[in-house]
Amino acid sequence: MEGAALGDGRDVPVPGAAASRRRGSRSRRERLEARAGLALVSPAIAMVAVFILFPLGFCVYISLTNWPLIGPYHFVGLANYTALPHDSVFVQSILFTLEYTAIVTIPILVFGYLMAVFVRSNRPGASIFRTCMFLPYIVGLTTLSFLAEVELQPGYGTANVILSKLHLASINTIWVQNANLALAAICVLVVWLASGFTMMLLLAGMQGVPEQLYESADVDGASWWEKERLVTIPLLRRSIALSLIISVVGSILAFNQFYIITDGGPGTSTVSLVMEIYETFNTAMHVGAASAMAVVLIVVVGLITFVQFRVLRSDDA
Amino acid sequence: MKLTKMKSTPWRSLSTAAAAAALLAGAAAGTGVASASATPNARVAQTFGVNATGTVTFWARAATKAIPDALVKEFNATHPHLKIVLHLTPNNEASSELATAIRAGTAPDLVGLNDINVPAFSKEGALLNVTKYVNALPYKSSLSPGHLKLATIGSQYYGVPYLADLSVLWYNPKLFKQAGISGAPKTFAAMLQDAKKITSLGHGDYGLSFAGDCQGCLGFTMLPSIWASGQHLVTGPLGKQNANIDHNAPLKSLLTDYHEIWAGKMAPHADQAQNGSTWGDDFAKGNVGMLPGDYGFVTNYLKSMPKSEFADAPLPGANGGPGSTFDGGDDFVIPAGASNPSGAWEVVKWFLARSQQEQYPALGDTPIRSDILTSSFLAKYPYDAVALHTLKYGSVEYTLAYNELFNAPGSPWDKMFNEAVYNGNVSGALSSGQASFQSTLASVDS
Repeated sequence: MEGAALGDGRDVPVPGAAASRRRGSRSRRERLEARAGLALVSPAIAMVAVFILFPLGFCVYISLTNWPLIGPYHFVGLANYTALPHDSVFVQSILFTLEYTAIVTIPILVFGYLMAVFVRSNRPGASIFRTCMFLPYIVGLTTLSFLAEVELQPGYGTANVILSKLHLASINTIWVQNANLALAAICVLVVWLASGFTMMLLLAGMQGVPEQLYESADVDGASWWEKERLVTIPLLRRSIALSLIISVVGSILAFNQFYIITDGGPGTSTVSLVMEIYETFNTAMHVGAASAMAVVLIVVVGLITFVQFRVLRSDDA
Repeated sequence: MKLTKMKSTPWRSLSTAAAAAALLAGAAAGTGVASASATPNARVAQTFGVNATGTVTFWARAATKAIPDALVKEFNATHPHLKIVLHLTPNNEASSELATAIRAGTAPDLVGLNDINVPAFSKEGALLNVTKYVNALPYKSSLSPGHLKLATIGSQYYGVPYLADLSVLWYNPKLFKQAGISGAPKTFAAMLQDAKKITSLGHGDYGLSFAGDCQGCLGFTMLPSIWASGQHLVTGPLGKQNANIDHNAPLKSLLTDYHEIWAGKMAPHADQAQNGSTWGDDFAKGNVGMLPGDYGFVTNYLKSMPKSEFADAPLPGANGGPGSTFDGGDDFVIPAGASNPSGAWEVVKWFLARSQQEQYPALGDTPIRSDILTSSFLAKYPYDAVALHTLKYGSVEYTLAYNELFNAPGSPWDKMFNEAVYNGNVSGALSSGQASFQSTLASVDS
C-alpha cells in the first residue's frame, strides 16, 4: 500500500500520488516485460536471420553474378533472369510443376477428408485404420519412390502384373518411357502418401467441432451430408486452408519422386522445377543461373501462398 | 566488375606449398635424402612427399569407399608420423562440396575426385600443379592414360590417377557355345551377328542387353567402342571444342546396330526403362548373351552365377583392334589451398605402390597401373585382368561439358540415342545431335 508517512509510523493513502506511482511502476514493469520478451525471442530472430534471411540475401546476390561452381565470377545484372524465359527446359519445368500441382491437390484433399471422416469415430478398430492410412507418410516419399521404381518395371513389376491380370494394361508397359503414364503413376503414389497427412490435419480439426452442434443437427433432422456440409466443413475452414497450403507448396517443391522414378524422362518431360534447379547447379555447375531460378521459385511459392491465404482465410480471421 | 577472390587462393597456396617443399628439401638434404648433384627442382621432387608429418585430410567418394576404408586403416597403422583423416563425400555432391570448401578456404589436403570433374577444377587453378612429382614416378608410363589426360592442362599435371572403374563387355560363354559362337565379338558386325544368333536360340534368350534409360550408363559402355574405332565425339582443346557427330562413322554404325538390336527384339523389352538401378541383373539370370557393362558387376556374378555363364572382354571397335574401355573412376588431386600437400603426396605414392594396387580388385575396383598385370594377377583375378589389360587402350571425352553433354536428363546424348535407337531415325538423330552438342560446347566455352 502506497501512502504518506505519518509520525506514528502508519501509512495514510494519498490517492493521486499513489496512482501516479502505480502508473510509473506499471510502465517499468511493461518495459521490463518487453525487454524480457525481446530477449526470449532474440535467439529465434537470430536463427531466422542467420539461417534464412542471410542465405536468401546471398542467393539473390549470387543470382546477379555468373557464379560458377569454381573459379572467379562477376556481376551480370539481371542477365540470369532475362535468360530464363528463353530456357526451354526451365519454362517446361514450371509448366510441368504447375500441371502436377493442379492434378494432385484436390485428390489429396478429398481423399484426406474422406479418410478423416472414416476414422474420426471411436469405434473399435478406428485407431488401426488411422495408423494404416498414415503409415505411407511415415515410410516417406524417398523410400516409396524407390519401391515404386521397382514395382513399375515392365515384365515383373507388381503394378504391371496386377493390371495385366485385370486386363487393364500389358505386363510390358514401360511407365517411365511415356510422360503421361509416368506422371499418372507418380500422382497416384503422391496422393496415396499425402492423403494420410491431410487426414491427420483434418482429423485434428474435426475433433475440435463441438458435439452439441451435431446433436442439434440431429434434432433438426439433418442428413449425414447436411451435417458435413453445414457443420463440419465450415468449422474446418482453417484446417482445410492449412492442408491446401501445405499440399500446394509441397507439390511445387516436388523433387524426390521425379528424380528417383523418372530422372526427368522421357527426355525432359517430367523435370520438375526444383529438379531443374538442382541439375543447373549440380550437373551444369551454373550456380548463378540456378540461384536465379531459385529466387523465381521463392517468389512463385510466396505469391501462391499469399493468394491462398486471402482466398481461404476465415471471416473472423 | 571482375571479382578475383578465387584466384588469390591458388597462388597463395602454391606459395605455401613451394615454401613447404623447400623446407622439406632442406630437411631432407640434411638427412642425406637428396643427392648433392641434384638440381633444386629434382631435390624438391625427391623430398616432397617424403617423411611428412601431421595430418592429411582425405576426401573420397562414398561410391568408392571400400578402397579408402581399408587402405586408410592400413596406412595409419603403419605410419606413426602421418595420419590420414578420411571423409566420404556423397556420390552426387562430391564436386559441389569440394568447391564450397575451396571457396571457404577449408579445402582438404587430398581428394579422390571423379576424373571427369577434374578439368573443371584444374582449369580454374584450384588444384596444385604436381607435374614434377608425377614425372618423377618410376611407373608413370603405366598409369591410366585417360585418367591422366583428365588431370592435364596443356603439358601440366594437376592430379594423378587413383582408381579405375572400367567398362567391359560381359558375355555368356554357355549361350555363345549353344549358338555356335567361338568367342567374344571384336567388331560391331560380329556383335550384331552374335546377338541375332543368341536370340534365335529361343527360350526367352536375348542377344544383348543395355541400360536404355540411363544416359550415363550408355556413355560409359558405348563411347569406348567409338574410341576403339579412332573417333571421339568432342575434339579440340578446352575453350575451342567442336562436336564430331554427324560425320562420325563409328557412331552412326553403333547407333544403327543398337537400333537393329532393339527393333529386332534382340534386347529385353525392359531395357527401355532400365535407369541403372538394376543394371546388369538381367544378365545374372543367364538368358542374356552380351551386356556392355561395368567390371564391378563381377561381385554379383561371382555370387549368383556359375562360372561357365559369364566372362568379360574389351568393348569392341567398329573394325576390330584391341577394343577400349571408359577410363572411369577417380583421380587424386591436391587442392591448391591444402595445408599439408607434402603429406598428401606421400599418401598418394603409398596408394599407388604395387602392394596397395594389388589389393584393389578384392576391394571392388581395378588398379590404376597397367604394370600391375602379371601372370599371378591374371590367375588370381581373371575378370579384372581383362579390364586391366584394356586400361592402356582406354580413353575419355576431354571436356568441361561432359555432364551436360552426356549425363544430364534430356542431354544431347540422351536425345540422340532415343531418336536413333527407339525411333530408328539415325540420320536425323545425328544431324540434330551435331547442333545440340555444338551449342552445349559453345555455352561452356563462352
